Amino acid sequence: MSTAATAPQRTAPAIGAPVVEARGVVMRFGGLVAVNNVDLTVHEGEIVGLIGPNGAGKTTFFNCLTGMYKPTEGQVTLSGETLPPKPRRVVTAGMARTFQNIRLFSNMTSLENVMVGRYCRTSAGPLTSILRGPKYKREEAATRERAQELLDFVGLGDKAEHLSRNLPYGDQRRLEIARALATDPKVILLDEPTAGMNPQETRQASDLIFRIRDMGIAVVVIEHDMRFIFNLCDRVLCLVRGETLIEGSPAEVQSDPRVIEAYIGGGTDDEEEQA
Amino acid sequence: MDTFAQQLVNGLTLGSLYALIAVGYTVVYGIVQLINFAHGEVFMIGAFGALSTYLLLFQGQTSLWILPVMIIGAVIASVATAVIMERVAYRPLRGAPRLAPLITAIGISVFLQEFVRLFYDKIPGTNFPSAKQRIPFPRIEGVTGTAFEAGGVVVQKSALFTIGCLIMCAALLWYFINRTKLGHAMQAVSQDPDTARLMGINVDRIIVVAFALGAALAAIAGVAQGLQNANINFKIGFTAGLKAFTAAVLGGIGNIQGAVVGGLVLGVVEALATQYVPGQFGGSAWKDVWAFALLIIVLVFRPQGLLGAKVVDRA
Ligand SMILES: Nc1ncnc2c1ncn2[C@@H]1O[C@H](COP(=O)(O)OP(=O)(O)OP(=O)(O)O)[C@@H](O)[C@H]1O
Ligand SMILES: [Mg+2]
Repeated sequence: MSTAATAPQRTAPAIGAPVVEARGVVMRFGGLVAVNNVDLTVHEGEIVGLIGPNGAGKTTFFNCLTGMYKPTEGQVTLSGETLPPKPRRVVTAGMARTFQNIRLFSNMTSLENVMVGRYCRTSAGPLTSILRGPKYKREEAATRERAQELLDFVGLGDKAEHLSRNLPYGDQRRLEIARALATDPKVILLDEPTAGMNPQETRQASDLIFRIRDMGIAVVVIEHDMRFIFNLCDRVLCLVRGETLIEGSPAEVQSDPRVIEAYIGGGTDDEEEQA
Repeated sequence: MDTFAQQLVNGLTLGSLYALIAVGYTVVYGIVQLINFAHGEVFMIGAFGALSTYLLLFQGQTSLWILPVMIIGAVIASVATAVIMERVAYRPLRGAPRLAPLITAIGISVFLQEFVRLFYDKIPGTNFPSAKQRIPFPRIEGVTGTAFEAGGVVVQKSALFTIGCLIMCAALLWYFINRTKLGHAMQAVSQDPDTARLMGINVDRIIVVAFALGAALAAIAGVAQGLQNANINFKIGFTAGLKAFTAAVLGGIGNIQGAVVGGLVLGVVEALATQYVPGQFGGSAWKDVWAFALLIIVLVFRPQGLLGAKVVDRA
């Protein structure tokens, strides 16, 4: 896993044990095979890119990894354990994600959004939360503080009290990242985190993802922006029509003619889906 | 002026009752998009829970300190009913076409009414009166009995109790929804259940909490109704439920403040219509007509209700 790939890049910390392992994942919708026999291993301290033309099955693959879809075939393990069947258990097991089409709790403030992400790590039950036992108060204060820290971390510290639906697009994407980080993940899956961002925001996003990796969290990121991906990732997986076209270092993937073909010419079969 | 003030007080009293029940419709709808038509019966069972507590523990007494215990009894009865109902009847239907839970709700409603009517006097270990006739509700010092007059307006003590309950419940509810962990989780589920699940929220548990919360308020309304009318029967859930549902829709279904405002507006309009609509269409016989006419008018011009429905659009 060479990291000496492209352009200036921070050196990644030593790559550790596998966090996520997907083996032979297949996802069928009726007759359509959206994901076909895809393998992926993500190690601690690694940033893995997932690319491919529209409709390649990237988001569907994410849904399989997070337990939102149950793969038709294949299996996914998180830190060596089979993925729990319920999405909320997947979160507590250490997998967090953001969404291609932003899914914030739009009528809540930024801070509240992040606090909701944090609740799966607090233990006060319903009764103590209503009766406000001392334990609940302590936890609530800690939750609030942690949420504010995370907002600061993604650069939204001064927008804690804004309703999330009133935030600019780029801020909403960063807020989703903060909310996902609040669940204390071992691995975070980002679905097109820079879609709709201007170049400056995109650079900041790159920087943010490096900082997340430096916290010891593995990152998997879907993006269509190739410069962004090749500059960011330690390893890149390219999906085309649900199948792995190539997996390798950014340099390898970048120079593979089939990748360019898939994006420019070869994707014609998918044209109805792109429309 | 005095008659106006008088009708306003009457209306607010009635409206407080509607509001307390309406919150239950709206909270459950906000979370699972289900109209729980059996919620009126949860209210009725609250009233019977209070009565049973009284008959078992305090028969013949009238002191005020009994009231909190009766309220606890009512809340336990209603919450248990609602939680069991959710578990047994609604949860298996989650994901079924919407008509299924709706019809189930009507079935539960009939079941609960008939259950109370036929079996209330047959509960082992008790000698409760038969619920086939009206049953007198206990008189409690301080909240029932002689009305007092203030500035030409007659105010029943039970009316003050009802309005007081609404104010207290509304404040607690606001606090719960906006300031507690569970309240935030409820908001999250109502806005986007799938995402809430992916944030580690136990959506099934939140749904139970919504049912329980609505049931607790309905139970308090049940006690208030008993104190006001001095008797209860197995049918009180039907009309009260229908009116409260109207109030919830009027205020904007799914919107908790809307339920409170809708309840109060509906109560006041009913009271004023009783007094001021002249001739043949006036009087209390027609008040329901005016209540529903109001609903229709509001829905024609503001389909989302007075304060706006709060339902997340889900693709
Ligand atoms: N729930 C579903 N039911 C049926 N088909 C689906 C479903 N979800 C995705 N698909 C199909 O699976 C294929 C892969 O879709 P997916 O959203 O995973 O692509 P993607 O790689 O994320 O594309 P994009 O870059 O446009 O986001 C598409 O053909 C899509 O229409
Ligand atoms: Mg996608």
